[in-house]
Amino acid sequence: MNLSEIPKRTRVKIMEITQPFLRTKLMEMGVVPGVEITLTLKAPFRGPIAFAYGNTQISIRFEDAAFIKVNPLAS
Amino acid sequence: MNLLLFGNPNCGKSTLFNLLTGMRQKVGNFPGVTVDKKTGLVAVGGQSISLTDYPGTYSIYPKSSEEKVVFDALNELYQQQQPTVGLVVVDASNLDRGLFLFSQLADLKIPLVLIVNMIDLADRNGITIDQQSLSKELSCTPVVFMNARVGLGKNRLLQAIEQQVKNQSAENHFSVNEHILAIEDLMQQENDALARSAKAKELCKKVVTKNETTQSKRRIDQWLTHPVLGYVIFSLVLITIFQAVFTLSAFPMDYIEQGLQWVSQQIAQSLPEGAVQDLLCGGIIPGITGVLVFIPQIALLFFFIALLEDSGYLSRAVFLMDRLVRPFGMNGRSVVPLLSSMACAIPGIMATRGIPNSKERLITLFVAPLMSCSARIPVYTLLISVVIPEKRIVGFMQLQGLVLFALYALGIIAALLIAWLLKQLLKQEGQSIYLMEIPDFKSPHWRNIFTTIFDKIKVFVLEAGGIILALSIVIWALSNYGPSQERENALQQLKSEKQYGIATKDDRQLLESAVLLEHSYLGKFGKTLEPAIAPLGYDWKIGIAIGSSFLAREVFVGTLSTLYAHHEEAGEFSLREKLKNETFPDGRNKFTLASGISLMVFYVFALQCLSTLAVSRRETGSWRIPLLQLSLYGVLAYGMSLLCYQLF
Repeated sequence: MNLSEIPKRTRVKIMEITQPFLRTKLMEMGVVPGVEITLTLKAPFRGPIAFAYGNTQISIRFEDAAFIKVNPLAS
Repeated sequence: MNLLLFGNPNCGKSTLFNLLTGMRQKVGNFPGVTVDKKTGLVAVGGQSISLTDYPGTYSIYPKSSEEKVVFDALNELYQQQQPTVGLVVVDASNLDRGLFLFSQLADLKIPLVLIVNMIDLADRNGITIDQQSLSKELSCTPVVFMNARVGLGKNRLLQAIEQQVKNQSAENHFSVNEHILAIEDLMQQENDALARSAKAKELCKKVVTKNETTQSKRRIDQWLTHPVLGYVIFSLVLITIFQAVFTLSAFPMDYIEQGLQWVSQQIAQSLPEGAVQDLLCGGIIPGITGVLVFIPQIALLFFFIALLEDSGYLSRAVFLMDRLVRPFGMNGRSVVPLLSSMACAIPGIMATRGIPNSKERLITLFVAPLMSCSARIPVYTLLISVVIPEKRIVGFMQLQGLVLFALYALGIIAALLIAWLLKQLLKQEGQSIYLMEIPDFKSPHWRNIFTTIFDKIKVFVLEAGGIILALSIVIWALSNYGPSQERENALQQLKSEKQYGIATKDDRQLLESAVLLEHSYLGKFGKTLEPAIAPLGYDWKIGIAIGSSFLAREVFVGTLSTLYAHHEEAGEFSLREKLKNETFPDGRNKFTLASGISLMVFYVFALQCLSTLAVSRRETGSWRIPLLQLSLYGVLAYGMSLLCYQLF
């Protein structure tokens, strides 16, 4: 599944980030495959989404979220 | 010796910079880019050392033009081999992210001080960092725990800096690990990032203990970014800002104008009449007024922007608005600059600096002058009262009010269309990604806010003020001087007229100044221009008024008053009547529905504002963009006015 497809407040594990530029940028922020994040916010009309990692929320655009493959974790 | 300040975005870096340097700051640009470069002096062990604040970044490998500044600075350091100490600020709540950047800089062999900032917030988040074991892990680097907002840890930091400065002076220079700077390939950067991030996390595991806290603090975000309520709240915030910039600034602006008028009167009384007095009272002082008068608006807008930014609300608003403005090649961050341009484009254009993507920033800056600013209101209201009949349509709606609304809407629509066009035309420089942290809410820090306001005013006055002053003097000279023989003849002729003979002393003066303006260089220019503007329905008087309103759009009204020898004290009403009765030599009315609308539309599009041009130059670093704006909007204004005149 993509990060853009999952509902709010879902906790997921990042499996793969398929866009190289986004992947490097997120890695530099510590968001690497294997970490667990929670989808916290979704802007309307397929606007940006935000996920909680560590003690902050990181927001990216909807289209970019589609490059992030995730597995939902049982809550 | 130089001190460099690095850190992630939102780690409290600017707060620390303000704490260390106080008001002794210089703001400029980094070479070649319009990214703020702040430098200040820090007193360390009896000497003053210069500290430079670098843009917030997660990595030394740049992903945006702001981050490129950091990379370039490191490269330059390597080439110059200057003695340097780097201060790396990390957010205690996100230690691993900060340690990532720290490890890159440490591998460059730059002597560093690690500042673990915002420990109070970490504490509230249930995070405890073992300072001793962190120091042990980073044996070569002093570690200082701080809360820069209240100044906690400042002395320890200064001691640590002093210690590193001494060590550094002994070694004389640092040796950069060339290999690290040479990595340009994304694949290699990725591998490097993967390894580093794993190391940073491992280190964090050793030194950080975490108590589980509730997530309730994020509940407010659900409301602030709510599909309905979120927009309602943001609209209220925007309306408040707009109203404040618009109305609150009026009082200090009046004081500034009156104060300088008083100065001008004093000069007029103490200096003998002549060229010097004219230049001072007519050219220089009004020019200075034209610069200072913007300060209240700049101060108010940046007060609100800094407040929103510092508290953390702005990132929620950006998050919410991004989708709506993106089809037009803009970013969620464009919304505040654009809407504040409806009060005044000057602070609006200055505020585009917060937009990280250079293409989106350029588009926002480019279309900002199309938003109808407050200086257009006197022009609109005068013309509406002259040519639009006072009547109601569909019940309660006033036709005049509707036209005013239509003019505003026209500006907004034009701005969006041109933004959309620019989006198609402009090339994206390199890869770019919208990626933004949404920091936790915190109470705004007043020192940060006032430093921002102070810096913005300083930059405006010093870097745009000179241009505004110089150009105002040029326009003043053009409207006050002309071929002297011709002016003399025209005055003689006026004095022989019957109308002049029966006029009172006051009226005679008015008639004289009208004739003098008509025969000034600006007046001659307006007359020469008449064939060109006749298709728009304008005569030479309107031509002169348009020309002089380059100083500021509202000057249009004043110039018309002068040309029609109109008593300012008599109020706008009588000027309106004069304009209504004004006819061409062949008896046609000059101000008809067609010419009035054509003129209003002209003011919607035309970039009739020297100050906007000056600020646009300062914010883009060259005259290319402002001149492009001036000509494109000039052509548009002409074309649209022509169309309107022919249609109505």
